[in-house]
Amino acid sequence: MHITGHLASGPGFVPPSTTDFKLPSIFGHSDYATKPVVLVFFSVIVISLFFILASRKAAVVPSKLQFAGESIYSFVRKDLGQEIIGAGFLDYVPFLFTLFVFVLVNNLFGIIPLIQFPTMSHVSFPYVLAIFTFVIFHAVGIKRQGLVKYLKGIAFLPGVPKFAYILLTPIEIATYFLIRPVTLSLRLFANMFAGHLLLLVFIGGGNYMLHDTHLFMKILSPFSFGFGIVMTFFEFMVQCLQAYIITLLSALFIAGALVEEH
Amino acid sequence: MASNNEEGALWSIMGYLISGLLIWGGIGFALDHWLHTHHYFFLGGLLLGAGASIYLVWLRFGRE
Repeated sequence: MHITGHLASGPGFVPPSTTDFKLPSIFGHSDYATKPVVLVFFSVIVISLFFILASRKAAVVPSKLQFAGESIYSFVRKDLGQEIIGAGFLDYVPFLFTLFVFVLVNNLFGIIPLIQFPTMSHVSFPYVLAIFTFVIFHAVGIKRQGLVKYLKGIAFLPGVPKFAYILLTPIEIATYFLIRPVTLSLRLFANMFAGHLLLLVFIGGGNYMLHDTHLFMKILSPFSFGFGIVMTFFEFMVQCLQAYIITLLSALFIAGALVEEH
Repeated sequence: MASNNEEGALWSIMGYLISGLLIWGGIGFALDHWLHTHHYFFLGGLLLGAGASIYLVWLRFGRE
């Protein structure tokens, strides 16, 4: 009891909050030179370098690097492109592949030592990705089916009594034009935000306990650090999963726009 | 193949349920605001939205 009271009333364990995500500018006072922005550009360089090196000396018997690059590509192409979109999937593989790798690398920044900040925990980045998906799947639908037919397919589900359209049409329109892009971006953002906060709690808490004057707290601090390490592995899983899910849903939306409603 | 499509259906269903509650709950909320009634339309709207979105999910995924 003494220990918990000590912690609560102590001189200041400050729990992590949203202010931990407001990072100062790196160069001067520009809002465009904060850590997340720099990380986005860095991720583009890392991804480009990796895949250029992996594909430069393409051989029948692949090197380890080539194998790694090709594994990622064929995963997106087969599991997300071919299986979900089906016929004509090749047109969309470049977008899906870019999306997957970009989100994956930016998520993994959250647990890579010295970087340790998931770019996607700033909501504006997922918003932009969702806008890309939104524009692409609607454009695909309009191109494939024509504007009127596409919108009619969304708003008026065939085989339903006419009075039910009053109830259903607003829901369909809201789902396609509002809920889809919003949930797509918020899911990614919230997972990355919460994950980073979780790591801050355990590692920051362990740090606080280690520097506490009370010996008992010092002894207990490894448990907090240990849980921080466990959570880091958990985060690795979540980061990969979220990169997969945003790509899977983008593929599904494109597939949905390609199929004509009956 | 099936597992990916089932996963897709799962997310789509969730989207429909959210937007059903949001749209009709929102309409009910607005009506309450304008007519100065106490949450009756909001409650009704939520129920209507939930019912309508479940109906829509059945139409989209349960018919065949």
